[in-house]
Amino acid sequence: MDRSAVILAVDDTPENLDVIKGLLATDYQVRVAPNGQIGLKIAKAQQPDIILLDIMMPGIDGYEVCRQLKADPETASIPVIFLTAKTDVADEAAGFELGACDYITKPVNPTLLKARVQTHLALKQNIDRLEDLSQQLAAAKGKMEDELNVGQRIQLSMLPTSPPAHDNFDIAATMRAARQVGGDLYDYFFITPRLFCVCIADISDKGVPASLFMAVTKTLLRANSTDDESTASIVTRINDALAEDNDAAMFATLFLAIIDIQSGEMTYTNAGHNKPFIRRQQGGVDIIPDLHGPVAGAMEGLAYGESHITLLHGDTLLLYTDGVSEAMDKDDNLYSEERIEALLASQNNASPQQMIEHIIASVDSFANDVEQSDDITLLAFKFNHHEEDASHQIQLRLVNQLNEIERLSNAFEQAAESVDMPMDVQLKTNLVFDELISNIVKYAFDDDAEHPIWVAIDLAPHRMTITIEDDGLPFNPFTRKDPDIQASIEEREIGGLGIHLVKEMMDQVDYKRQANKNKLILSKTW
Amino acid sequence: MKIKTIDMHDKQIICLDGKVDTNTAPEFDSALTRLIESGSQQIVADFEKLSFISSAGLRVLLAAAKKLKATQGELVVCAMNPTVAEVFAISGFSTILRVFDDRESALAG
Repeated sequence: MDRSAVILAVDDTPENLDVIKGLLATDYQVRVAPNGQIGLKIAKAQQPDIILLDIMMPGIDGYEVCRQLKADPETASIPVIFLTAKTDVADEAAGFELGACDYITKPVNPTLLKARVQTHLALKQNIDRLEDLSQQLAAAKGKMEDELNVGQRIQLSMLPTSPPAHDNFDIAATMRAARQVGGDLYDYFFITPRLFCVCIADISDKGVPASLFMAVTKTLLRANSTDDESTASIVTRINDALAEDNDAAMFATLFLAIIDIQSGEMTYTNAGHNKPFIRRQQGGVDIIPDLHGPVAGAMEGLAYGESHITLLHGDTLLLYTDGVSEAMDKDDNLYSEERIEALLASQNNASPQQMIEHIIASVDSFANDVEQSDDITLLAFKFNHHEEDASHQIQLRLVNQLNEIERLSNAFEQAAESVDMPMDVQLKTNLVFDELISNIVKYAFDDDAEHPIWVAIDLAPHRMTITIEDDGLPFNPFTRKDPDIQASIEEREIGGLGIHLVKEMMDQVDYKRQANKNKLILSKTW
Repeated sequence: MKIKTIDMHDKQIICLDGKVDTNTAPEFDSALTRLIESGSQQIVADFEKLSFISSAGLRVLLAAAKKLKATQGELVVCAMNPTVAEVFAISGFSTILRVFDDRESALAG
């Protein structure tokens, strides 16, 4: 029995109060009030655990006392038991309607009174404890929400919000998390003055774990793309880093593209991500179908591939996460790729920002107040081609035959004219092509199959960069020892001369092994 | 590339027009080999119209020079443009072959 529990009895008949006291005083602290007025005062001042209330009293009656108790927040939660001689069922109903918890008729049955009081006290104590707990929960929840809000701000600050202003493109992106923090990621940045990287990723989970994985992915993306122009190579490295010690077994779908903002040439790698769209300026919408490997972070040691596609003037690349395509209406229908595609097809001359706004509005109107269940992320990149820059960039795909050197040489000479390249630089460059391409054709491949050799030449008025790639055996020609140029005719060796010439003819030579390709990077100024 | 040979009795002149690179070097090689096999000991390679020579061409020159040297003959070159001259300097060929400014001095030398 709870000796500290306080019972307040309100009755205008002193004998009744004596009876109650006599029954309850051994087990509880009993307070008494001779009328409603005093009863209300004591109730407010002493906060009893239970009030036993007579109905028929002069002045304010029991019903009115009960009404006032329930109306006052300080006393509203105190259980009220009516004690009355009235046995009318209608009266009982009136009492319960006012918020009384029980009804005991007089004359009072001692056992019944004790039992009822005990029951309602126990109930009251349970309710009080639950209220306490719920207050603690609310406080903890508030604290967690504060922290999540901070997390959300940090996460949003990791996403770029002010796109670079550039004549050659226009870009917009948005991420709307389903919870405070999300697992989607977009990013865009320059790798070199003419190579622009765009990326979208979707982490395999939502909420805090996904947001942490997202932060790691973003950091890896930036760290691995500073000196790398191959999306295959970047994704291969990100995958290895994510997969290493990935105890949580999380992963990311990822689409990464590097766009040459002068030519519109785009290199991309898709690691298990939704297939992006290109809204063509000429009309129509293309799907970018190639996948180059599974989701990133799931398995170490995979080599991802890459593909190339060209954006023409006015074309818009649209990247999105499945929060868009799989947004649901109340009947669990999906928004779907088809709706995105149809919407894109209807967008004439929309800017990237407008395009994204239209899609979000369309998704929201489709979902029609159904709660967003996944992060929604969109990135749109519109390419603006400037004709005058085009002649300064040459991209050729050769095959591994010696007569291809001639084709390269002709294409190069034509472009060299356009930047007034001095004749000796042209001759030296042709010499370099002869040495390097013939080396690759003769030595890079251990089969008789046809292999591509990619050559890119980036020409500026006083500078050029040449990139030559092949998928042959790993070999860095520049580590070869220079020949002894002091040797006499008899001692002079035949080999090694070509590479020596290349190194001398160019200002800078570099070799990289990336995504199973040999990559030679040469530069020269004049 | 075009190749022309001129018989000067005691010396043979081989004139190159165009470029000697991976694709044309074999042609240059067979022209030189023919001259040597027909008994020429003194050969002047006239580079006046040669735009450039790659290492494939240098190898042909070196092989011919080695053969001639073994029989006390000699291969000399003349009239190089600056690019070819630079290749010769970089590769050390200007120290293993005698280089003349023009055909006349090459024939006189």
